[in-house]
Amino acid sequence: MTAAQPSSQNACATAPSVAEVEASCRLPVLFLAFSGAAWLLTGVVLALLASVQLYNPTFMEGCAWVTYGRLRPAAINALTYGFALQSAFALALWLIARLGRVELSAPLGLTIAAKFWNIAVTVGVFGILAGDATGFDLLEFPLYAALPLFASYACIAAWALVTLHRRTERELYVSLWFVLAALLWFPWILSTAQGLLLVWQVPGVVQAIVAGWFGNNLLQIVLIGFALAVLFYFVPKTVNRPLANPGLARAGFWLLLLIGGWCGLAQLAPVPAWIPAVSGAANALVIVPVLALLVSLWQTAEGKIGETCKENATFRFMLGASILLLGVTLRTAIFGGHFTQFTFFDTARTDIVVLGVFGLAALGALHHIVPRLTTGEDELPSEGLADLSFWAALLGVIAVGIGFTFAGVKQAAVGASTNDKFLEFAVTGTANHLKLVTVGYGALAVSALAFLANFALAARRCCLNCCGGAR
Amino acid sequence: MRYGPIIGAGALFSLACSWAALVMAPQLQLGDLSPAPIPNTPDFHPAARPGLAAQGAEVYRSLGCYQCHTRAVRQDQLLFGARLNGIGPKAINLEAAGSGKTNLVNLKLLIALAKARPDLGLAKVELPPTLAADTNAVAAFAQFTTHLTLLKHADHKAGIVRTNSATVNELAGKLPAEILAKVGPEEAERVVKLLSDSGAKAELVIYNLGPDIARGWGARRSVARDYLNDAPVLLGSVRVGPDLASIGTRAPEKFAAPWKFATSNTATELEHHLLVHLYNPRLLAPASTCPSASYLFDKVKPEVRYAGEPLVVAKESPPVFPKHNAHALVAYLLTQRNDVSLPEAPVPSVAKSATAKPAAPADTNAPSKP
Repeated sequence: MTAAQPSSQNACATAPSVAEVEASCRLPVLFLAFSGAAWLLTGVVLALLASVQLYNPTFMEGCAWVTYGRLRPAAINALTYGFALQSAFALALWLIARLGRVELSAPLGLTIAAKFWNIAVTVGVFGILAGDATGFDLLEFPLYAALPLFASYACIAAWALVTLHRRTERELYVSLWFVLAALLWFPWILSTAQGLLLVWQVPGVVQAIVAGWFGNNLLQIVLIGFALAVLFYFVPKTVNRPLANPGLARAGFWLLLLIGGWCGLAQLAPVPAWIPAVSGAANALVIVPVLALLVSLWQTAEGKIGETCKENATFRFMLGASILLLGVTLRTAIFGGHFTQFTFFDTARTDIVVLGVFGLAALGALHHIVPRLTTGEDELPSEGLADLSFWAALLGVIAVGIGFTFAGVKQAAVGASTNDKFLEFAVTGTANHLKLVTVGYGALAVSALAFLANFALAARRCCLNCCGGAR
Repeated sequence: MRYGPIIGAGALFSLACSWAALVMAPQLQLGDLSPAPIPNTPDFHPAARPGLAAQGAEVYRSLGCYQCHTRAVRQDQLLFGARLNGIGPKAINLEAAGSGKTNLVNLKLLIALAKARPDLGLAKVELPPTLAADTNAVAAFAQFTTHLTLLKHADHKAGIVRTNSATVNELAGKLPAEILAKVGPEEAERVVKLLSDSGAKAELVIYNLGPDIARGWGARRSVARDYLNDAPVLLGSVRVGPDLASIGTRAPEKFAAPWKFATSNTATELEHHLLVHLYNPRLLAPASTCPSASYLFDKVKPEVRYAGEPLVVAKESPPVFPKHNAHALVAYLLTQRNDVSLPEAPVPSVAKSATAKPAAPADTNAPSKP
């Protein structure tokens, strides 16, 4: 089993073997993982094209479909729904099956639901490019894409919960707390936001508040939650020790749920003043649970970090994700107030959480899961490609984060002065930082390509094994 | 923890807390806001958009203009001041009654001004011989002398030394006059009361302060009420380009690339300027990174019965023909205004001076604390 607390005395005699569990996961998890990686590639390429337009406005000029105002939301939504949430479902299903020691319910149904999810994301991205974006950050898919998205999510989550209910390992490990919370959290925020913004529209700035609340919960609870689930599974597993200090992890989990949902509205402008104030306080308070969770992980790996880093690619991803989680939390708490309002500073938060904290954790986990489900080995066919994927992803996220952050600080300095040379300082002055962002997206595309190549090699080896044997 | 339902219930409880605070409470607080009447007019703010502008809002959303432009003016501070508009009916004419000249002086006002502005001197006003027979004037001058003595005594006690280079007499000579600028509400109210008690006409004025307002991007902060007619509300979150909350009423020299009205037909010129910006922003601001929306224009005259006015974008290039969406987007931009005073976000009243605008008041002329 995993590094979770063993409680084999509770394990049912009829518990399926690891091979049976993995066989049941093969189809849906591999499908979700592959589509997720493909959307990662698509999304970062779209984001790259959009970022070029920020300093070179004549690039792809003259076509409404690829103007910045459409490319950028298309990229962010493709990354969030196509890559992040889809990979999160793959990881959630796999974690539930592995940690609950249970075969996945309805693998075929899950695959079909995943297929519909992909169709909905495709329709949504094309809808945005065609000009049907709703205008709310992270919720830009038009209604005709958002409803199928919700329906297919309902199927995936329902089967995931049924699987969780039928688990033979009754004790719920930390990872499963996060998975369970995120699986329940997502439909509530999505239905609230879709209902109040697209169907029964609330008046005036309440729309902006609801959209901000949705976006923050999606990042802070759902995506960071899934990332933490992965971290809590793979860190103990790769260092081969049980989780140290589960009490701290439990405290961190509950505090994160209680505080995390209040963050993220600190920079809303024309709203009652208590909303940014409360949210800014939550931004600072959320450091406590994040630190508690990271300390618990650190205590688990203490003393073996350098060693494991060298020999295990997955652990490297986990380390990168943890550091970025700490970084993004601190940076939002300290600088995410009035000064950086209306700048790229907040844009960077979305990118760091989706591509960095969640993205690195998910890529690391998939580097472990994909070979298990294809060739049955522990390592992907090409160690070099795995290394390339890691370094490209890490440097890419750092370049995007730093580029947007520094551009944001520069914009903030202009915004805080009465200087009327807006064009000179805030527009042309940020070009170099934004070029760094383009480089970062390029590196992320390389990372996605490297992972997909590794995936293809593993799939080819798997097919050779099966078909070669049959012949 | 073994029981999934407990974790699930805990998670849903946490979510319910955040939902109640950040979704339900704002709706309860703001859900029944309604447009506010604009004082002295039959209109309301925000006004319902005319059809073309409403279509323009859809173009604004569809092209994703909100990805780079915010529509919210920020304000750091609200400060107050006192303005003197008239010296009042109790003023005495210092010139002889039959001379046809007037030199009105409100002696009580001078004392009040001296109290309000300890940094300014007070020139003594002598009783002109022509008024020596006027008992009212003599009484008023006697009172003035008494008050002056008391004021000097008070100054001496408080350690106030008055310069004689600038006096309140000069301040009162040119109306309207900013007596106090950018001070707290109590201070400003005290001075307004002081001036009003002396029979003069004084009013409380406000100062909206902040970089956005100083830059000319709006007259006041944007508030929730400004967005009542928007669906969806596109606030924007990044200022890659300038804020657009007041683009419909913005002065040409306050644009990111300043320009000037060439004729008195300012409305048409602004519309033309915005259309050219949509066609190619770099014709107006070479450093702009705004993408061109040239797809909203026809290069050749469209074969319809009324093709609309051709748009001359540059002297050397042939004119283009704006499509319906281009006109709609510009109509929407022209409805963007934030110069309407609201109870929660007042706009400074402009001094009712027939002549040119008075010179901007100094940063602050609040009396220094003794």
